[in-house]
Amino acid sequence: MAALVRGLRAGRVLRGLGSVQGIVSPQCRNVRRGFHRATLLRLADDSKSGTSVPPPSFHEVPTAGESSSSSEPLEDGQPNTSYQDQSGEHGEDYETEEQLQVRILTSALEFVPEHGWTVEAIAAGAETLGLSSASTGMFNNGAGDLVLHFVAQCNAQLAETLAEQHNLVQLGQAESKETAEFLRDAVEMRLRMLIPYIDTWPQAMSILLLPHNIPDSLKHLSTMVDDVWYYAGDRSTDMNWYTRRAALTGIFNTTELVMVQDSSPDFEETWDFLDNRIKDVVNMANTAKQVQATGEALVQGLMGAAITLKNLTGMNQRR
Amino acid sequence: MQRFVRPQLMLRGSQQTILPTAGQPCRNSISAVPCVRGRGYSVLPPTNDEEEKAMLHRMMRVDHAGEYGANRIYAGQMAVLGCTQTRPLIQEMWDQEKQHLSKFNEILGDNRIRPTLLLPLWNIAGFALGAGSALLGKEGAMACTVAVEESISEHYNSQIRTLMEKDPEKYTELLQMIKEFRDDEMEHHDTGLEHDAESVPGYQLMKAIIQAGCKAAIYVSQRV
Repeated sequence: MAALVRGLRAGRVLRGLGSVQGIVSPQCRNVRRGFHRATLLRLADDSKSGTSVPPPSFHEVPTAGESSSSSEPLEDGQPNTSYQDQSGEHGEDYETEEQLQVRILTSALEFVPEHGWTVEAIAAGAETLGLSSASTGMFNNGAGDLVLHFVAQCNAQLAETLAEQHNLVQLGQAESKETAEFLRDAVEMRLRMLIPYIDTWPQAMSILLLPHNIPDSLKHLSTMVDDVWYYAGDRSTDMNWYTRRAALTGIFNTTELVMVQDSSPDFEETWDFLDNRIKDVVNMANTAKQVQATGEALVQGLMGAAITLKNLTGMNQRR
Repeated sequence: MQRFVRPQLMLRGSQQTILPTAGQPCRNSISAVPCVRGRGYSVLPPTNDEEEKAMLHRMMRVDHAGEYGANRIYAGQMAVLGCTQTRPLIQEMWDQEKQHLSKFNEILGDNRIRPTLLLPLWNIAGFALGAGSALLGKEGAMACTVAVEESISEHYNSQIRTLMEKDPEKYTELLQMIKEFRDDEMEHHDTGLEHDAESVPGYQLMKAIIQAGCKAAIYVSQRV
């Protein structure tokens, strides 16, 4: 009986969502994106991670809430009260599609070690929330949605932690780190988030490399690398902006690859590899600086020689 | 016997290292993380709308590229005409451009705006344009200045129009800054005209080519 009621409720939700699907417009998409971000961070708060929601999302939530009432006018016979409720934890009748999707994907992560990064994991996650496993139909990208959600969640967590550390340094309650050490710690922190899923991570990586997932995975990667450099103190506005981020992307990707086949206790080999890569990059930077300085000195020397020559031949005089 | 004069060649505009050297704390090798709470205001209004943010970032990116290019143009002109009587004139205009550039550097850093990927291209092209026009003499350099400053002023004007159409009150500080910079550029333009820019042979042709180049540069920098 309870299952029947649940099924009916799920059916109503799906019908309501189905009617909304047809009116997606660019404006709606932006709203949804705003939602997605806001709810993602909110749900990260509600879930076991227990990290605090960063200030920017507070601005997002009210504006997202106000526009929700205009973007989804066709919920079947349900009161359109989603803008009043932002906790996302009440029954699925009162939340948006985005919030629901995020909740399902978050609970699906528990089942990844068992089912891998697949639609079965999403179905299992949906069932723990009391929804029918047919709700996986909401996810057009299937396992890709799950992997991208996980990556986004990890990146958000990393950004929050870095922001907190940054605040402590600003308040003078913590020492600021050397750049190399900061990068090392940030990459290690981010890679450690993969540890619970490390056995199935190669599957996730291959999903991220599928052509239709590449734009999103690149976007997540570039945002993460930008965040790390920002909190490391990079404010460059020339080619250094690009070379630094490219270097860190290379370090991160290669270390990730080493990590998936590392069997040492607590991934010591991976962290050693990471140390060595960062040292390499620092050495390369030093060498580049030296080459540049030598080059400049050489040019100044040549100019001096040219001037001397001009003076000797009397060409420098004005007649 | 003339005074021994050594031309100063600026090989690189930026003094920043590619990556920090080991053993140095964060603050020394990269600019210190600014204390955001210390700043009284920000030129760009804070926003959560993605499209608006993208638009503002694009505007700042292309303005930054423009000032960077102008900086390099004056550097090129100075390299050729640095020993002549036009030196103080070029130096003054160059100093103002340096001020503009540092303001944009600040904005890009504070708002985490990506600089355009084509900066090395504008580095070389700007220097070459400045040096090349200066080889035609003082009038050539002034003609180049007139053409470039006219393009930049037009560009700033269109940005001002865009912002005024959207929401003048929200963008007050930004509008003020752009207007100030536009007025500076117009001043350079007028200075160029005063100093016989129009007397260079092929003035109209040169001006047309340079302005076409500037338009192309602006178009591309907005997108890359």
